[in-house]
Amino acid sequence: MACMAAVLLLAPAAQARIKLATLPVRERVEVQLDNGTYTLVEEERIVPLLKSTAENGNNRIDFSWSNTQIDKNTILFRPLAIRQGGKFRAIAKADGKEEINVINVAYPPGENALVWEVYAAEACAAKVRVSYLVSNLNRSFSYRALANKDETELTFRNFIQLRNYSGEDFGTAGVWAGFGPKFLKKIQQQETIKMLLHRFEKVPVNKTFTFDWYKHGQLNPAKPLASRVLMHYELVNDEKHEMGLFPLQPGKVRIFIQDGHGGEAFLGEDIAKLTPLDDKMRLYLGESRDIVCTRIMKENKRHNVRGNLHNQEIVISYEIENFKDKACQLDIVEQINGLCREYAGDPHGDAEWEQKERTSKGIDFSYPTDKVNPVLSVKLPARPKDKAEKVKKQVFTFHLLIKNVW
Amino acid sequence: MKRTMLILFVTLMPILSPAKNVDLVTLPKRNTVELTIYNSEDITLAKETRDITVKKGNNQIQFSWAGTLIDPTSVEMRILEHADKIEIEDTVFPGQKPQHLIWNIESEFEGQVPVEVSYFTSGLTWQMDYVAITDPEEELMKFRGYVRVFNSSGEEYDDAHIRLIVGRINLVEKIVDLAKRYGIAAPATADNDYKKLQSAVLRQSFAYASTVMKGRPAQDAPADGKKQIVKEGLSEYFMFAVQGSETIKNGWSKRMEAVKANDVKFDILYRMRSYQYGARPVRFFIWLNDEEHSLGESPLPDGQVRIFRENGQDGLSFLGQQLIRYVPIKAKIEINLGPDDLVVYETFRHGTTRDNFSFRRSSGREYVDGWDERTRWVDSIRNYRTKPIRFELRRQWAGHVDYSSEIKTKLFDYRTIEATFDVPARGKQLYPCMVVTHNGVNKKQERIDLKKE
Repeated sequence: MACMAAVLLLAPAAQARIKLATLPVRERVEVQLDNGTYTLVEEERIVPLLKSTAENGNNRIDFSWSNTQIDKNTILFRPLAIRQGGKFRAIAKADGKEEINVINVAYPPGENALVWEVYAAEACAAKVRVSYLVSNLNRSFSYRALANKDETELTFRNFIQLRNYSGEDFGTAGVWAGFGPKFLKKIQQQETIKMLLHRFEKVPVNKTFTFDWYKHGQLNPAKPLASRVLMHYELVNDEKHEMGLFPLQPGKVRIFIQDGHGGEAFLGEDIAKLTPLDDKMRLYLGESRDIVCTRIMKENKRHNVRGNLHNQEIVISYEIENFKDKACQLDIVEQINGLCREYAGDPHGDAEWEQKERTSKGIDFSYPTDKVNPVLSVKLPARPKDKAEKVKKQVFTFHLLIKNVW
Repeated sequence: MKRTMLILFVTLMPILSPAKNVDLVTLPKRNTVELTIYNSEDITLAKETRDITVKKGNNQIQFSWAGTLIDPTSVEMRILEHADKIEIEDTVFPGQKPQHLIWNIESEFEGQVPVEVSYFTSGLTWQMDYVAITDPEEELMKFRGYVRVFNSSGEEYDDAHIRLIVGRINLVEKIVDLAKRYGIAAPATADNDYKKLQSAVLRQSFAYASTVMKGRPAQDAPADGKKQIVKEGLSEYFMFAVQGSETIKNGWSKRMEAVKANDVKFDILYRMRSYQYGARPVRFFIWLNDEEHSLGESPLPDGQVRIFRENGQDGLSFLGQQLIRYVPIKAKIEINLGPDDLVVYETFRHGTTRDNFSFRRSSGREYVDGWDERTRWVDSIRNYRTKPIRFELRRQWAGHVDYSSEIKTKLFDYRTIEATFDVPARGKQLYPCMVVTHNGVNKKQERIDLKKE
């Protein structure tokens, strides 16, 4: 509990720690959560000040706290205004001297307290602001994503959780995360308050299916050439995708889907990484059982260049079955350095390679991270509607030459 | 209460036997106290003046400091008036009375004389801290420096004149060790002269400090109650003198404003140095301790700098804090505020090729033993702030590297390139470069050669 006392009797510096004091209440409290590491609390109080005189000295304002983890070294005291006729006016300067001045701060031994010595040109009621950093009053972020049944759009809610284990009741306080709205909440000890920062409606979402042989390996012994296909929701933090208001902070995302009957089903959860503006947020949904991709090394041919220097020609075939009732896209990640190590030799850094002519026309290449980890995107038709008709394997070929290996 | 005491024995005793005495004494009170406190070492020179009454012949003055951290070897008394008629004959440290000494004084004068007693003590320290509050646009800041004096010396110092010395001094023994040693240490043979010399030099510098301050105008608190901290250069040191007197009780500390500057201009620079600051660019506030930046009156001693910003919502935002080391006049202050979510840096490798192969022959076969590797890199910096930013990129490259970029680039050191450029508001800047690494026998150097694109 933090407490501020204006000592009515203007005491000399060496005052005893027995005090007769008025206790100005907090007029306003602000909790600033915009710094991820430190939480700043600002409180405003109206403090009665007596006129400083040579005989009586200056005012002494005692600020003390117990069971609260205030960083003593960060406490700031700033006089803001003087009450005059029921209103507050700015602190004036006469002859270059301010009407209210903080002379010094004294820290008594063994106490969570400090004493400001404050000069006042005249007796007045001053609005002052006390700011300090406090521990165990912190923030975290979480998200709730609700997908429509077609999984084309999300309602994406961004929450901020305020966790108050600082030992202090702050009463009704303004809370601001540095972005989004400012909240006015009653903050009690050991409370966690979850507040909706923003609700993004109709956020276009792209459901992706990813196959990465070198990352995920063999699916199971029964299918030695198949690997797992992972599902993600991909959303873009920009205005075009109904977002782009602020960087999305790291936090847990719970993902739900509308079940088409007015209810919702839980799809899973993931930890979102910091997503700056214009960046993609990828949310892992789990493993797809309805898309099976088998990767077969069709050709592996060495072409000598000179001495032990050679090129390696490789043909990879992807046989893919889509058992879903919807068409989709499969993204196949090929790690060329891994391929080189396995079939050609040490890549000596990044492998040098080029795509060759037998590569299937239906593959779209992209390079989201770098040139040696191309993503091969292929379109897969939905399973046949005719119950008698079997799912047809889609076969794609990646023909490449890894160059200058030894 | 633990206190130093100066006791005048009113009985005359030709031969001292203090342990057996039942003394009748007067206790002259302190007239003034002056404390000169260093921050680099736990040492403070305390000077106090008192009035004593002497009679003709032999007088004994006892000085005691029970429960404090005074170095007994440093205690000295100086007669301020009638010094030609009063002689301190010897100083006795009684064996059975630790933390006591007795001066035997031979006087031709009878009456009241002022004396100055000085000693080194420990347990009084001071440190600085700084608070900077920027405007919402982050263009100007209010900068304040505070000095905080801590008293854990065991002694109460009421209405003391305080001077604070900035700078590093050399001590061969800690004052606190000397204070806790029982009796007076036997002089060390080898470095005794050196110690004496050091002590003399230290006292000289303190004496000079006093002389400087004596020329100052009256040190009463000004009308607005705010005490000025007067700053003064002193040899290799700098002295902060607190105007007027301050009372710092034992166990207490007191913080006073020592540096005040408004409208301090500062630059914002983003630095990308993955080897030093990690994977994300960090934001720096940079300004100089000079007149142009409303500072430069004194060096800035070591201290924590806390930076706040007026957040435009009638409140402050805490931007970060950092310990700064001693900042001389006209030197730069750089505060690292950490990564900024509104500035995004990414780097891409756009393909690698290899050429210039050389071969060695062994057992009738050829083996690659040298080659050049060419990689095109493109760094991208996205700025989502509403103002353009200045961005400094430093990147280290190992080996023998030919480096070129269409953006002006220089070498910071033999293996680090440096490029500084602007990134437009809500815009993007690319920094492409070609890196050619000579490997194997092609590697002739361990450095970067800057080439023209």
